[in-house]
Amino acid sequence: MNSNNTPSSSAGGPGSAAADSTAPPTTRNSKRPKYSRFTQQELPACKPILTPKWVISAFMLVTVIFIPIGVASLFASHDVVEIIDRYETDCIPEDSRKDKIAYIQSSGDKTCNRILNVTKHMKHPIYVYYQLDNYYQNHRRYVKSRSDQQLRDRDSENDTSACKPEDKTANGSTIVPCGLIAWSLFNDSYSFSRNNQNLSVNKHGISWKSDRDHKFGKDVFPKNFQSGGLIGGKHLNESIPLSEQEDLIVWMRTAALPTFRKLYGKIEVDLVAGDVINVTLQNNYNTYSFNGKKKLVLSTTSWLGGKNDFLGIAYLTVGGLCFFLAMVFTIIYLVKPRRLGDPSYLSWNRNPGGH
Amino acid sequence: MGIDFDLLHKVKGLIECPEPDKDIRRFDANLRLFPPFLDNDVCPITIKNTLLQSCYLRNTEWACGVAVYTGNETKLGMTRGVPEPKLTAVDAMIDKLTGAIFVFQLVVVMVLGVAGNIWKDTEARKLWYVEYPTKGPWYELLVIPLRFELLCSIMIPISIKVSLDLVKGLYAKFIDWDNKMVDQETSTPAHAANTAISEDLGQVEYILTDKTGTLTENQMIFKRCCISGTFYGNEIGDALKDEDLVNAVATRSPDVIHFLTVMAICNTVVPIQRQNGTILYKAQSQDEEALVHAAAGLHMVFVKKNGNVLDINFNASVIQYEVLDTLEFTSDRKRMSVVVKDCQSGKLFLLSKGADEAILPCASTGQQTRTFSEAVEQYSQLGLRTLCLAWRELEEDEYQEWSLMFKEANSALVDRDWRIAEVCQRLEHHLQILGVAAIEDRLQDGVPETIETLRKAGINFWMLTGDKQNTAIQIALSCNFVSPEPKGQLLLINGKTGDEVRQSLERVLLTMRITSSEPKDVAFVIDGWALEIALKHHHKAFMELALLSKTAICCRVTPSQKAQLVELLKSCEYRTLAIGDGGNDVRMIQQAHIGVGISGREGLQAARAADYSIGKFRFLKRLILVHGRYSYNRTAFLSQYSFYKSLLICFIQIFFSLISGVSGTSLFNSVSLMAYNVFYTSVPVLVNVLDKDLSERTVMQHPQILFYCQAGRLLNPSTFAGWFGRSLFHAIVVFVICIHSYAFEKSEMEELSMVVLSGCIWLQAFVVALETNSFTILQHLAIWGNLVAFYVINWIVSALPSSGMYTIMFRLCRQPSYWITMFLIVVAGMGPVLALKYFRYTYRPSKINILRQAERLGGPILSLGNIEPQSRAFEKEVSPLSISQPKSRSPVYEPLLSDSPNAIRRSFGPGAPFDFFQSQSRLSSSYARNCKDN
Repeated sequence: MNSNNTPSSSAGGPGSAAADSTAPPTTRNSKRPKYSRFTQQELPACKPILTPKWVISAFMLVTVIFIPIGVASLFASHDVVEIIDRYETDCIPEDSRKDKIAYIQSSGDKTCNRILNVTKHMKHPIYVYYQLDNYYQNHRRYVKSRSDQQLRDRDSENDTSACKPEDKTANGSTIVPCGLIAWSLFNDSYSFSRNNQNLSVNKHGISWKSDRDHKFGKDVFPKNFQSGGLIGGKHLNESIPLSEQEDLIVWMRTAALPTFRKLYGKIEVDLVAGDVINVTLQNNYNTYSFNGKKKLVLSTTSWLGGKNDFLGIAYLTVGGLCFFLAMVFTIIYLVKPRRLGDPSYLSWNRNPGGH
Repeated sequence: MGIDFDLLHKVKGLIECPEPDKDIRRFDANLRLFPPFLDNDVCPITIKNTLLQSCYLRNTEWACGVAVYTGNETKLGMTRGVPEPKLTAVDAMIDKLTGAIFVFQLVVVMVLGVAGNIWKDTEARKLWYVEYPTKGPWYELLVIPLRFELLCSIMIPISIKVSLDLVKGLYAKFIDWDNKMVDQETSTPAHAANTAISEDLGQVEYILTDKTGTLTENQMIFKRCCISGTFYGNEIGDALKDEDLVNAVATRSPDVIHFLTVMAICNTVVPIQRQNGTILYKAQSQDEEALVHAAAGLHMVFVKKNGNVLDINFNASVIQYEVLDTLEFTSDRKRMSVVVKDCQSGKLFLLSKGADEAILPCASTGQQTRTFSEAVEQYSQLGLRTLCLAWRELEEDEYQEWSLMFKEANSALVDRDWRIAEVCQRLEHHLQILGVAAIEDRLQDGVPETIETLRKAGINFWMLTGDKQNTAIQIALSCNFVSPEPKGQLLLINGKTGDEVRQSLERVLLTMRITSSEPKDVAFVIDGWALEIALKHHHKAFMELALLSKTAICCRVTPSQKAQLVELLKSCEYRTLAIGDGGNDVRMIQQAHIGVGISGREGLQAARAADYSIGKFRFLKRLILVHGRYSYNRTAFLSQYSFYKSLLICFIQIFFSLISGVSGTSLFNSVSLMAYNVFYTSVPVLVNVLDKDLSERTVMQHPQILFYCQAGRLLNPSTFAGWFGRSLFHAIVVFVICIHSYAFEKSEMEELSMVVLSGCIWLQAFVVALETNSFTILQHLAIWGNLVAFYVINWIVSALPSSGMYTIMFRLCRQPSYWITMFLIVVAGMGPVLALKYFRYTYRPSKINILRQAERLGGPILSLGNIEPQSRAFEKEVSPLSISQPKSRSPVYEPLLSDSPNAIRRSFGPGAPFDFFQSQSRLSSSYARNCKDN
């Protein structure tokens, strides 16, 4: 675009106004509009036009900016080491695989051992996520089914109107925290060990501080939770206030996409390439009825976040396309120059009288 | 009057009047006064004793009267049609597009609703965490479609109405404020009474214009004369400055003196002495005023009117005349006469003036009238209005005899008009023709240029006038209405009977069809009578004619015919603008899509009824080309942009519903949704009312560019499709980029919602910037300030712990990935748009683009195709036109006090004294007579 900000010809306003004001006779009527550049629509304006020079430069500029950012983003993404382990099928014993739902709904021990191989050095902190696929936390029925009032404030315990159908127990006592989201709290658990040495997972500070401080009350304790006939997910310790139930707080930050990761904890030591990590997990959460996947993710982080090549690739693509466009426009411009504003293109100049 | 002043308030009586009707030319009532004033005798009251509503009284200190009709029952109130609310073409188009979007919305809702229900039954029941009840009532089926209806309700931008009202108000203000449309003579600014239809100004296709007072000044000036065979004023164009005439006056040439006497006293003018000694003439007819003024200029000064005695001051000697009788003007007689007595010599004279066809046949036998008819012919060719002046000396007994008959006729109750005419006829014969006076009704300044420019802009002109054909044609020629030969051709439609009119119409149609392919300037001319027949019996043929012809001249048309013609053009789907200055244009002005009134000397009636009032005809150019065009362009952008932004957010909601289980979850919280339409996106586009794609000068130089507005090139389904596509594209860009860059551990609902929303805000800022043609400081402030305001508002909301998006905006602004995402959205969204626009701009430029480029680069275009100022002088001899019929030799003469539409308009205006006051004396005298008779 043209950034040549010289005021256009309309800036000649005051001059013409002065000429105007001398013209009228002395009988100046009060009805006469007052002169101002605004009222006369004569504010000085810059009128950029799309000249080849400016458009090609703009595209080149975008190219020049985008390629480095794209490369930097890609590098950032590649620096992130990620170990993903999909376990929802493997953690069901062979003989139960025909009816996974029955297995997951049965009581009894559902412990499962997984082995993760560290291929690259991972610097601490290493984030432990669980990833759910095909899980619609953004479903309308689900996403609304919570009571922020109740979570924050002990006195608003009965504010459960939005929580149906998980608002009250069968005998009518209020559930805290109410609603489908809390009720379906993820309840798989992981413990890690390296060389038979326990790797401690720090579960403090995995939720947003603002949530702990302002959204979940320090004096609100779980009540009647998971006490109905239908058990959704994890049970909560009724002696710990909600503000310290960090798994719940993380879970209550609903995901916008059907595939999402939630922070489980942090490993505060480095993992070295070649390390073998044993994971003992309790496979409790039912994703089988809707064919959802469960994954355990160990990941480091970069300035751009987790491992995500999208931005880098997108920047490189857009930068490349802009370069391509700039080249095409340059070539067209050189091969077939066209004078801007050529009056001969005006049809009425070519054929006077005709429209 | 015959009643004492102090008894006046005791008058009791009865008026028998007809039911209220709208015929302003008739009023047949009776007055009965009760004793003791009058016996129970019937006095007829006619329209001459009537004062119509909103008339101004002049030249009288007082008047007494009785209100017969009031309010809407007055004649004027009955005539005043109910003006329909006007809807602009742009509004109609917006309504149409809104309808289309509504249908689209319904389809989307239906499709998504069905899809949602299917998904619910197949998939969502497996999602145990959603806990769908297995069996719900039947209306559960409606829940999901209704959810989507709610989501999609923002697809139709409600804000568009508010925004449009705001900007339309501003368009109107710009017209009011415009210094360049202030009439310097009277200091009248232009005024937009109707604030809602400015866009239509830019889409006008037909202008129907009145002649007198609109194209012309309605300021009659005596210009030439021919006295007993000698032409005065031919060389210098002004008889008053003609040495020959001045000398002739000085030498007291008897013919000239007689001529001047008739000019000075054969009229109903009232002179008023002013403080400073000058004399002000109050005349009902502008022609009479012009003649009296001219006579005064030639030292024949009409000084005083004292009852029936007139004082004429000629070269410092006072001559007194007593007016014995006034033989008034009627449109049938086409002449008026006075019988005067020279108070010195006691001689009686009959002084007459009138149209040539009314005067010349009454010439005394033996007098050659050929010179005069030639003079009339010559003057009317120049567009001058002509009057023949004549006189005769009367014998005392001839007059006495006639006077009795006249009095009798005057008091006749049956056929009074006819009898008076018949009696007058008996006196008006054997006249000695003195000469021909030619009066000019000067064209207003800049009229030919304005019409030329507007015709170049593709606007067709129809002239509707109460004047006669020849005058109308001449004015039309001098106004550039029709090009002179050989380019122009006038086709005449006339005839007195239905058959004649039909034949004439068919002939004209045939010619039109043949010439329609040629670049020829063909106009048809029709008079009121033929028009009446054509409209009634040959409506279809006339309609075709209206479609074919770009120019028409309709003469002798009545106000309702004017309105009918407007209606006709409207029914052909044309945008019409009617411009007029008097009361007889009111119907037409109200009927047309746009009514423009000229607040001139005919009063404010037209200006009050009109949507726009301007001081002079030439401002029409600026009104249409500048204000109309800008308004159209701005509204076109504003309305489509409003749809764009609503569609953008709506598409995103739809896309989001596809990944949220088609359940109708809203990605955005309600605060954001509301603020999006009201705050975030409406301000920058509102400031677009300052946008000017081309400078005013360029538009004036290339009025053809108006074609884009007329044809609706900037707002139509195909441009709208472009905006629709753009919003779809941008929605895809924003959505795809956001869900990919904010995937996995970042896919938090509130965050993603704000990322997407800010993506939309960024894009819309750049869309407005790209579509803005001229950036003033206000536009920069609005566009970029709005972006800043978006962040400020969201930071404030993010600081409230109770809000759903607590801390979200602060978190996002700290993340590099957020800014990188925004940058990506802007470039990915705007890059293709810019590239496409650039390509079109450079390699497929529209005329507007070319002119913009030329304007910016200062190319040679500004000198090319300029409209050379058409300083076609009025006096210039106009080359004769080819008229497909032998030109009728009738002179150009506008009735002085006729009941023609033109005169009716007069009687509305403030400059028009009313008939009442001459008739008053007659009324009282007839009372007196009645009393005597009884």
